[in-house]
Amino acid sequence: MNRLARFSYLAVIYCFFYFPIVLLIIYSFNNSTYSLLWHGFTLDWYKQLGDDSDLAVVALHSLEVGVLAASFATLIGTIAATCMYRYRFFGKHLLHGLLFVLIVSPDIVMGISLLILFFLLHMRLGFWTLLLSHITFCIPFVAVTVYSRLTGLDKNIFEAARDLGATDFISFRRIIIPMLWPAILAGWLLSFTLSLDDVIISFFVTGPDFQILPLYIYSLVRLGLKPELNALCSVMFAITLFIVVAFQLALPRKVNQ
Amino acid sequence: MKVDRLFKGTTISIVWLWLSVFALLPTLLVLITSFLKNDPVDLFRWQFSLQNYQALLNPIYFRVFWHSFCVAGLCSLICLVLSYPFAYLLARLDSKYKNLLLFLVIIPFWTSSLIRTYAIISILKAKGLLNSVLLTLGIIHHPLTILYTSTAVIIGLVYSLLPFMILPLYANIEKLDTQFIDAARDLGANTLTTFTRVILPLTFPGIMGGIILVFLPAMSMFYIPDILGGAKSLLVGNLIQNEFLSANNWPLGSAVSMVLTLAMGVLLLLYRRANKIGQYHDEPIGEI
Amino acid sequence: MRRVCFFILWFSLFASPAYTAENIVNIYNWSNYISNDVLKEFTQETGIKVNYTTYDSNETLYAKLKANPRTGYDVIVPSTYYVDRMRQQGMLQALDKSRLPNFKHLNPALLNKSYDPGNHYSIPYFWSTTGIVVNSKYHAVQRLQAWSTLWNPVYRNQLLLLDDVHEVFSMALMVLGFSPNDTHPEHIRLAYLKLKQLMPNVRLFNNDGVKSLFIDEDLTLGMAWNGDVYQATQENPALRFIYPKEGFVISIDSMAIPIGASHLNNAYTFINFILRPDIAKKISLATGFATPNLTAYKMMPKATLNNSMIYPDKKTLQRGRVQDDVGAAESIYQHYWELLKIGG
Repeated sequence: MNRLARFSYLAVIYCFFYFPIVLLIIYSFNNSTYSLLWHGFTLDWYKQLGDDSDLAVVALHSLEVGVLAASFATLIGTIAATCMYRYRFFGKHLLHGLLFVLIVSPDIVMGISLLILFFLLHMRLGFWTLLLSHITFCIPFVAVTVYSRLTGLDKNIFEAARDLGATDFISFRRIIIPMLWPAILAGWLLSFTLSLDDVIISFFVTGPDFQILPLYIYSLVRLGLKPELNALCSVMFAITLFIVVAFQLALPRKVNQ
Repeated sequence: MKVDRLFKGTTISIVWLWLSVFALLPTLLVLITSFLKNDPVDLFRWQFSLQNYQALLNPIYFRVFWHSFCVAGLCSLICLVLSYPFAYLLARLDSKYKNLLLFLVIIPFWTSSLIRTYAIISILKAKGLLNSVLLTLGIIHHPLTILYTSTAVIIGLVYSLLPFMILPLYANIEKLDTQFIDAARDLGANTLTTFTRVILPLTFPGIMGGIILVFLPAMSMFYIPDILGGAKSLLVGNLIQNEFLSANNWPLGSAVSMVLTLAMGVLLLLYRRANKIGQYHDEPIGEI
Repeated sequence: MRRVCFFILWFSLFASPAYTAENIVNIYNWSNYISNDVLKEFTQETGIKVNYTTYDSNETLYAKLKANPRTGYDVIVPSTYYVDRMRQQGMLQALDKSRLPNFKHLNPALLNKSYDPGNHYSIPYFWSTTGIVVNSKYHAVQRLQAWSTLWNPVYRNQLLLLDDVHEVFSMALMVLGFSPNDTHPEHIRLAYLKLKQLMPNVRLFNNDGVKSLFIDEDLTLGMAWNGDVYQATQENPALRFIYPKEGFVISIDSMAIPIGASHLNNAYTFINFILRPDIAKKISLATGFATPNLTAYKMMPKATLNNSMIYPDKKTLQRGRVQDDVGAAESIYQHYWELLKIGG
């Protein structure tokens, strides 16, 4: 297949992803409160955004929870995938089943059941209950992603490592993780995405002093989507894009193992 | 080695501890609730009852499950067809910007899905972007009614779930050893044969991973079908939402959720049986 | 790798908010139901910090408080029949009116309703009505003065209905001459059959995007809340709101104090603050919803006072009905609602 066709296909899919975002950004300059048609250019919404300090706090909360939840979920999910791949242990099939249940469970069921759990454990609702819940529903996504890569690894590598005297821990750290790196990264990205956008579970398990962005946005829709939100999303998008691109360009080229 | 047993013990314990508390306990709560009797005031009475599952034997619920199944299935299929070439091309790209390109896939999804869905609505509306462009170009003469139909729902679902197919596929294809492809070529296979008999089987775990992460959430999603489909029909997700929130019938809602989980579990098992290639490794590696 | 781990650990310790026993009040309200200035003014005057979080439906509020009574909210704002339900199930605290001197400013016409006789548990915050919304450019407004006109086959696939079981069934019940709070199973069944006949005319069910749909003329006819229509007319003056002949639903969103409230004194201070006429006027004008505060209403600009869309006259108001909790009949309503949606 020639290069043009290849790049065209990639480009088309990227356009598919970015088109609504571009539209969003355009609408953040739209001189209309509720209409979804173009009515003229304005910077009002960005001004409103600048004045709204609460929104910044809420967005920051979401980012905090997102980063932490994704990181811990990636850790536990990777360990879970590796354990299921390498070891035989009591309750392995139950573990499989639990991960599966976590993906299938509708958000509302998980939200309410976790809420009841926290009530029974006498935990105060807030940051910690939110974080624990987010980690929990992200774990299976990491596990599935990592596992699908594990199943293609060459088993002989572990044999060779063992022959050379490596303990399980060392082979985990030095061999498995580097080999799984793209899957781990993919898992982290998926988890972060899930966490940033989760509404229903978060609604039930968060407390009065910890509001997060998706809940804020979701509840605003009830009474009309404020264009200020378009401005917020545009700003967040611009920032994340900038950070990611800058980070990647600044890094020296990584040597592939 | 003792150190090995410690490592094995610790890692399994961590996973087990976490999942027992935050996954097993809540699931048991749901399971128990599904066997309780509904109570309008206290939400459930501590009385064993099969009435919830009996109520579900009503054929109208079968329609709901079937409808959701079709929607989720179609969505997964489209995601797979669109994602596979993309993930393949991306994974085989020999560029130092590969990671960057991967990030670029997911960044749009860090904006609120709600707002993105509204952006989709503004594209598909009667006076929206799509219709305006098509009308101006003269391709159509009356605005297309896409919004509030199943087509809009599928578009919305595919859009939201595409990265969940791309990322597992990418992770799996990335490690595909080109030696296999070269070997196949050397043995005289053409592109199609190489694809169907070498690449596809080798990337099958990635496909399975992607399908799991797309099909299952799609079955229980209700929000996007509601907004883009006009809330005129009931999918499994809406049904459960309804039972828990509007009807305050937690036992019935729990029962529907259990049935959904069971149905999906059965499907997964059947599929794995039918395709030996998709078998998970049950033999452990390097156990003492 | 190690550095990343340490960073994350440090970050997690830093990120969790410290729980200090400050002077705070936890308000749980609908979104866009208050302006930030008012909250700031409250903190300035009283020194009490406000933790303001929002929800989007009565159902989720109820489910959350039911599953975990210790959530810690001090003031919540449920709608009419949820006040009734929560009151009957002992989820709300009885209010000591002697601590709310500003209660006297409220409009008596909106007090002492069947969902909370004597207002022992709830204080009205905003009120709204449900009626017919029509784009006068496309339909003759005069022909649409009753709910029953929506059943006309000429409106095939054109209607927007609210995605709320009680709003939709109230409409059918009122067309059949019954009360919107009817608990008689046969009446509910008849309402369901009537609605089944309407389904071919229904294009979609929606609560959230009503404004933009009517402004952009994706839809030109349907049922909506008067607040939504009022705000929509600012951008599309062709829209009209009609109070149907058979009657209409009045929704009153009220402030209440849940059982698990942790800052009772501050809750009373907050509620009393909101009842102050100048404050009530401020929030009403800022958000565009009707205030139940009579003194505040009299202070409004003339244009708002005379706007019958937001403040219908006494005669029209007599046709209005509040929604009560239907108790055990709820499951019957839900069953038919599901049938309606599954068949659709």
